[in-house]
Amino acid sequence: MNPMRLLILLAMLLSSSSSYAEQIPDSKIDLQKSALFLEAQAAYDGGDYAKAIDLYKKLVEGGVANLAVEYNLANAYFKNGNLSDAVAHYRRAEYAAPRDPDIRANLRFALNAAGATEPYSSLIKRFLGTLSQNEWIMVAIGAYVIFTLLLFLGLLIRPAKRTLTKLSLLPAAILLISAGGWWHWQQLYTQPEWVVIKSGTTALFGPIEGSTAHYKVPLAALVRQRSTDAKGWIEIQYDGKNGWVKIDDIHRVSP
Amino acid sequence: MRNPLKIRILIAASLLLMASTFAADVRMSIEPQLISLLDRAVLKIEFIDTQGNAARIPEIEGLRIQYQGQRSETRFVNLKRSSKVIHTYLVTPSKVGDFTIGPITCTYKGGQKEVTAQLRVIKPEDDPKAQQISEMLFSHISTDRTAPYVHEPFHLDLKVYIRDGVQIDGNFSLRGGIPKSGMKGDLEWNITSKEQVERDGIIFTVYTLRTLAKTLTAGTFTFRPEVQLNVIIPRQDRRSYGFDDPFFGDFFGRQETRPIVLDCNALEVTVLPVPMELRPASYTGGVGTFGFQVGLGPKQVKAGEPITLKMKISGKGNLNQITPPTFEADPNFKLYEARIIPSKNPNEIIFEQVIIPISDSVTNIPKIAFSYFNTQTADFRTLTQGPFPIHVEAMPQQAAQIIATVPSSIRQETEILGRDIIYLKPIPKKWKTSVALAKYRTKPFYIALAFPALLLLAMAGLSAHRNALANNVARARRQKAPKAARKNLRRAEHALRKKDETAFYGELWDTLTTYFGHRLNLAPGEITLSIVLARLPQQAEAIESLFNTIEQRRYGIQSGGEKKAMKNLLKQTTTTLRQCERVK
Repeated sequence: MNPMRLLILLAMLLSSSSSYAEQIPDSKIDLQKSALFLEAQAAYDGGDYAKAIDLYKKLVEGGVANLAVEYNLANAYFKNGNLSDAVAHYRRAEYAAPRDPDIRANLRFALNAAGATEPYSSLIKRFLGTLSQNEWIMVAIGAYVIFTLLLFLGLLIRPAKRTLTKLSLLPAAILLISAGGWWHWQQLYTQPEWVVIKSGTTALFGPIEGSTAHYKVPLAALVRQRSTDAKGWIEIQYDGKNGWVKIDDIHRVSP
Repeated sequence: MRNPLKIRILIAASLLLMASTFAADVRMSIEPQLISLLDRAVLKIEFIDTQGNAARIPEIEGLRIQYQGQRSETRFVNLKRSSKVIHTYLVTPSKVGDFTIGPITCTYKGGQKEVTAQLRVIKPEDDPKAQQISEMLFSHISTDRTAPYVHEPFHLDLKVYIRDGVQIDGNFSLRGGIPKSGMKGDLEWNITSKEQVERDGIIFTVYTLRTLAKTLTAGTFTFRPEVQLNVIIPRQDRRSYGFDDPFFGDFFGRQETRPIVLDCNALEVTVLPVPMELRPASYTGGVGTFGFQVGLGPKQVKAGEPITLKMKISGKGNLNQITPPTFEADPNFKLYEARIIPSKNPNEIIFEQVIIPISDSVTNIPKIAFSYFNTQTADFRTLTQGPFPIHVEAMPQQAAQIIATVPSSIRQETEILGRDIIYLKPIPKKWKTSVALAKYRTKPFYIALAFPALLLLAMAGLSAHRNALANNVARARRQKAPKAARKNLRRAEHALRKKDETAFYGELWDTLTTYFGHRLNLAPGEITLSIVLARLPQQAEAIESLFNTIEQRRYGIQSGGEKKAMKNLLKQTTTTLRQCERVK
């Protein structure tokens, strides 16, 4: 079996098994949320995207953290012509569900509609980005439990000690990879992603007004922060090039 | 010798001699005292039988004196100890003449002393004309643009002059002398030519190094690069300095290399700013001399279909800092951001832009202007292309395709991604809240997470203990002893209850042999009273009494049939064994 599939399966198993421990939500509040959601969907279908945005936003502001709300809100923004917010919400949805083909397709579509390049990722980063941070943590926990279990059995069943110890290397390796996956997502806190919200934004060579223009960044482009300046400038990387933009021209996407 | 006066004189003489033996002194020497212009000497300041720090040697014109370090020496001659602290300096001449180094005040424990040294520097044997190194080796920097503009690339030429006959090892290194701020990137120098030229009747080998410089700001930039090269000096006629010489020649001592930093003129380049006045609206940052071409296709489209414009700017200047020429806002067109297309020609930049006519009334694409600052004529120039006639047909009655360019550098083709975004997601089965902690962040989960590790640790401890017992029979038996004794005592109690005297004493005897056998790791045949007493002398009396009583009663030598006596003996056995157990 493909090791990636194995990892995904393990993550899904763990997340499904742990879902039993979830608290049962208050059904009355849930009904209200469902009503809002359906109302937003109806507004969207009726072409009233502004209303759909309001309703979805109401859900988000009410503490709802469902992927579907984030995705649908992004769709409503896109339809309403607000590419920057659409890209931001698609990307946030992608953080939670990196393998969701709908999110990926719509994000790509929105970026292309904006004329922006898709963020470049190396092969390793693409691999580490296959699972979300939560999923990597679940995989790590699973690997840790299996690792300790195998070692425990190795101590208990003496004749099988060598085989079980060797076998424990596999979960140990998965544990290490999971640490890498966790670290990959943790980078979003130290080098967050931003979306360009101002048309005609130009990245400059230096963090100073009047510095030489380096390149233009399209509206709704996703850029990665490299460093910051105390005077409200952010050094960004876009399409492999670094440049400085004002913090007012961009909006943070990463958590 | 009986004369007291003679004895006193002798003692005084001895003391004077001893005092003279340990008299502190400072000496300065230079080796050799006669060197050629390309040579160098080693200066030493020796603190004899005292301690002293390195002296600060004043600057002497024509000499460069560098401190090399210190070392200590201790010698025993005729049972007398003598120590030295030697500070070493390397003296490098840059012109001929007689030099006096000092007087230098050296401070040591108990005093001060002024020292001096003399050095004579003569012309090299094969170059009797040269008076200074700078006449033999020097560099000169120049530029093709004395007053370039900001972002305008300009060449810097550095010529390295080496007098004919002076050998170098062929390596140059450039250190410092380049402005640290305001420059675009690091300068990359390349050797472009090597030729022989005559200058004032002297033949020089001239290496020309060239680089392309560009500034990010206006202002005056001073270039005075320091070129360092290694001159090869033959050593056959020179005296060796032994290990004091910090630079050795080749392995056999036939030659040595001496690093020399060449003198260079200071080149001041005044970089002018691109003027603000008369700057056209279509100026996009170009500084230099450029050409501008525009191509487009297809020229026949339906409304809503894309046309790709390719704008090529070629020439000399800051190509990579030019932003794409812009169109004037036209409601008949939908414009996408222009992007750079990779080009193999370093003297050109190509922008590609997708433009979509949204109405069939469009007949041409408006003219496109590219303005730049011409550094040759010092004014702004505007190059215009177009308008470009196109034929736009009416849009068919169906949903327009959404077309976008894929901006990745890997895929440059225009691509149809689809007609629309994918529809909404259905209502979730469960509502999640952002305030709810992730399952793995709850306290019970942390506790549960520690459980496997603790279990493993406990198991590892148990296993280690098991292994230790398996590998140490004595320890294992020692641990087994009380348990085995208790088992036999229980049997004895049982026999007592049944009033089976033979079995009772037999069990008691077994208790003793089993306990002491395990406790002292003895084979069954080895368990004798004498061995037990020897190993447990602390309880010797009790053990001996117990052994003797049980043995005598067991074989009927002593009467012990009474239940009370049996009970007492059982109690005595239990007590004795318990006391034995306490003995380490």
